Amino acid sequence: MSDKRRFEIAIYLAFFAFIMCAPLVLEPFWLNRIAKYLVFGMLGIAVALSWGYAGILNLGQGLFFGAGAYMLAMSLKLASPTSLQQGSDRPVPDFMLWNAEPGSPTELCCINKASFLWLPFQHQWFGVFMGLVLPAGIATIIGIIVFRKRISGVFVSIITLALVLLVRLVVIDAQPVTNGFNGLTDLGWFKVGEFEFDPYIVPTYYFVAIALCLVLAAARLLIETRAGLILQAIRDDQNRARYLGFDVPLYQTFFFAVSAGIAGLAGMFYVVVSEFASPTFMDLTFSITMVVWAAVGGRSSILGACIGAIVINMISATVSETAGFAEAWKVIIGLIFVLVVLYLPRGFAGLAHDLLDRFLARGKAAPSQHAIEASDASQLAE
Amino acid sequence: MSIDRRKFLKSSLLATTGALASPYIIGPVRAAGTVNVGVLFSLTGGLSIIEKSLHDATLMAISEINAAGGAKGMKINAIVEDGASDPKTYNEKASKLVIQDRVPTVFGSYTSASRKAVLPVFEKRNNLYFYPTYYEGFECSKNVVYTGAVPNQQLSNFIPWIIKTLGKKKFFIVGSNYIYPREMAKASKILIEKNGGEWIADEYLELGHSEWGSMVNKIKGSGCDVVLSNVVGDSVVAFYREYKNQGLTHDKLPICATVTSEIEIAAMGPEYAVGSYTSFPYFQAIDTDRNKAFVERYRAFVKDPKAVTHHALESSYFQVFLWKQAVEKAAEITPTAIREAVKGQEFDAPNGHVKIDPDNLHTYLTPRIAQWLPDGQGKIIDAYKEPTIPLPYVAYGETESNLFCTAKGLDTSKLKI
Amino acid sequence: MLEVLFIGLSVGSILLLVALGLAVTYGAMGVINMAHGEMVMIGAYVTVLSGIWLGVNIFVAIPIAFVVTALIGLAIERVIVRRLYGRLLDTLLATWGIAILIQQAVRLELGLSFFGIHIAGLGPGLQNVSVPAALQGTFMLGSAEINRYRAFIIVVTAVLTAVSWLIMYRTPFGTQVRAIIRNPKIAAACGIDVARINALTFALGSGLAGVAGVMMSGFKTVFPDMGTPMVVDGFMVVVMGGVGSLLGSVFSAGILGEINGLVAAGTNDILARAVVFGVVIMIIILKPKGLFSLKGR
Repeated sequence: MSDKRRFEIAIYLAFFAFIMCAPLVLEPFWLNRIAKYLVFGMLGIAVALSWGYAGILNLGQGLFFGAGAYMLAMSLKLASPTSLQQGSDRPVPDFMLWNAEPGSPTELCCINKASFLWLPFQHQWFGVFMGLVLPAGIATIIGIIVFRKRISGVFVSIITLALVLLVRLVVIDAQPVTNGFNGLTDLGWFKVGEFEFDPYIVPTYYFVAIALCLVLAAARLLIETRAGLILQAIRDDQNRARYLGFDVPLYQTFFFAVSAGIAGLAGMFYVVVSEFASPTFMDLTFSITMVVWAAVGGRSSILGACIGAIVINMISATVSETAGFAEAWKVIIGLIFVLVVLYLPRGFAGLAHDLLDRFLARGKAAPSQHAIEASDASQLAE
Repeated sequence: MSIDRRKFLKSSLLATTGALASPYIIGPVRAAGTVNVGVLFSLTGGLSIIEKSLHDATLMAISEINAAGGAKGMKINAIVEDGASDPKTYNEKASKLVIQDRVPTVFGSYTSASRKAVLPVFEKRNNLYFYPTYYEGFECSKNVVYTGAVPNQQLSNFIPWIIKTLGKKKFFIVGSNYIYPREMAKASKILIEKNGGEWIADEYLELGHSEWGSMVNKIKGSGCDVVLSNVVGDSVVAFYREYKNQGLTHDKLPICATVTSEIEIAAMGPEYAVGSYTSFPYFQAIDTDRNKAFVERYRAFVKDPKAVTHHALESSYFQVFLWKQAVEKAAEITPTAIREAVKGQEFDAPNGHVKIDPDNLHTYLTPRIAQWLPDGQGKIIDAYKEPTIPLPYVAYGETESNLFCTAKGLDTSKLKI
Repeated sequence: MLEVLFIGLSVGSILLLVALGLAVTYGAMGVINMAHGEMVMIGAYVTVLSGIWLGVNIFVAIPIAFVVTALIGLAIERVIVRRLYGRLLDTLLATWGIAILIQQAVRLELGLSFFGIHIAGLGPGLQNVSVPAALQGTFMLGSAEINRYRAFIIVVTAVLTAVSWLIMYRTPFGTQVRAIIRNPKIAAACGIDVARINALTFALGSGLAGVAGVMMSGFKTVFPDMGTPMVVDGFMVVVMGGVGSLLGSVFSAGILGEINGLVAAGTNDILARAVVFGVVIMIIILKPKGLFSLKGR
């Protein structure tokens, strides 16, 4: 195992250890807050996978995040004490009552035209299942249509952008079914067996942290599989990969769906820690902000994008609590973003990689190493 | 050289982590003889235009109370947070104020979306939220004190007046697409039919959407003789402008609004709203010495001689005084004690006498109707003689003798569709 | 019915007004300028400021806004876009960052609000532009009541489109731009100063956006966030119309505008917007290069 590899594993383990130790020093409020940022870290991973490795700049990642969030929120809403007829096997969300036409039956199946869609969500695990399957499913459909037609680059981005805006509009408009702009609030707590995940207790934090570590490890291993390497070949030159005989749309769709699934998972965890789901999850600015996190952290580095998301949000929250700095912080992050795009295309993770390489190379100051580096340099200069 | 750089990187990393971590570990210090409160409004983002004024009014009330000796002899220390016009941020900042800063009360929110997003925090932690904005009703939370108007305080006077005094019977209801306008429309329809009018249309436009051409065209062709507007936000400006640009006038086809206030009028230019009507408990033009002094003090506080005051702002102001009175009556400074003490509290606010209803924690307010003048102020042409009881469930048949929301909670058996 | 069609035409003309500058920069340089909406916003603020500080009306504000935004566009191209030549998605992101910076600059009144100095006409609040009396109200066209200001916008859009077409197809500058659209390397080999032409093209696109902003200020509220939804609409029009094709943008703006107007008249505005998004997605999928696309590049 090379030095670099060993170092990388060490960094991953250090990160895991770091986030696992947080409950030892933080109190419940901060623990919940950091849990939210860990969820954003998951989103960063999703973006890195889609953009850094598959080369698909998804400007509508909020669509998948929101889809996952709403699926679980629907189940938790039916489980909440505010849903009428609670305790019976026929709960009805309170907002459906408010939005109903006079004279409608108070049954979930028939209180309005589309309320029957809520019926299966009475089982919490159906909500969890849908929270993973719906985003991945949508991504697969998009992939099949878009990638098979060899649409790439900016056109894909515009399609994702239009889609997230479209779905946001529809969700807000369908008020009897989704409670429109206010979103789904007053939710019950996520339950496993008899244990309820109160957003502010330590077990909930560990739930999120462990999930993040698993996703991180899984994503990192995924990109090293044969499929992952082919994906990177596609990202670097689509036509070349095609001529070499690889089924390009298949790989793109697969990874796009995986990225969407991770975003959906993140959405579900967000609902667990913040107890609401809202159409603002599908705001355009939020979706693009996710890209900013990944860009600054390092789009081609799974861990980099994750840490980038967490750190930027942490600084953002702290700074906004110092009077007068909230607006200035936006300027700073805008500036950093522009500079990173211009000069650090691989983000801070890329910078770290370079420093690491230099550090490791210095350790073996063999002349052959220099010769190899020199010849590499001359080749690049062509 | 490399060792120096590594050392530098390490030490700066430690320093930065330390600096960033310190606020997480140390909370805010509470000096003896002070009481902390949270102030949570959007200071940045699209809604900051209105919410900043609510924030300013709250701080003005706090400074006036402190100048007069504070609450129970303690100075009030305001911990200000920015909701950033985003429910996610509201939720986070509310958690911070309640769980980390441990304030006994928070004053905040303008939109129902932000109130709904913070509600779980206050309910699960049994804290207290003072909500100053007029809203659609249908809420009966034991952890919120509502000091803005509910539908029966804005519509129950407005609709009968439009039909009987203005003589308009065919309503075109238009609003922004979310819960407040929709519920207001529901309540309006019941009142319209009860008073012998008819509603011809019930249309919605996305919040923030400013292309009103089609909608105004629809209004023209619908045969209505009055427009009931529940449009919110900067869409209001585009709506009134398009209205005038398409040749409609308020003397023949008036817009009767529940949201358009002095701020929106200032933003669109008074010439677009001249002759239209709005129903609120408070208008800047209320002709009492108390109100005039209030407006002057507000203008001095925000250092803007042209600042306007409006209903939600006035509620933000007087609710702090009601809170202070509750604190002085309460045995201890906890949310539960303050809530029990605030029930039935009365105060002489700039709009008149107000009282917190002991059953549903909403506020008795005096409904008024004003017609807008070319100088951007309203001429009050109708006002109740006394404050009216708040009925958050009036659209479901709640009446003064048949309350749905009482101190025991919401009686869901009464909620039939 | 005539009025519904007119409104559709009006919506289309507003789309085209914003998209025109974008069509120029995207077509000529392949650059996705997410700061384009902010250029429109700056044009609107120039109108506000020149109204307050210079006491001029909308008509005079048009050339002022053009010059101001063209200069800002030039600066952006020189400093940022030039370094990202060839990296399309990165240009998108970098210009998004610039957009954030411009928005904050206006909100913070160019940083002066930190020192307690307030410039009338800037800041996070809503601003107002008064429209000259000649453009207010309506006039009759046959049986339809036509709004004067909307008609004015249609006229201005038509004029600007004609001017853009003239520049592109009847001037040496335009010929050079079109040569660069076809193939930048050969164009450079023919002696065209690609860097200079690109800079001027970007400046032209931004200037057009500024004029669009002046038009917008007359009927929309002016506030710092007003640019973002416009850049989305503008992009859809341009991408749907086809790279480098002015005609394509005109057509797609017209189609999208009429669809919006008709659906809104039939159902509601929200569905109309959703349908417009849906149409754009369909067209990109069916004809990925847009309705009218030029060969090359």
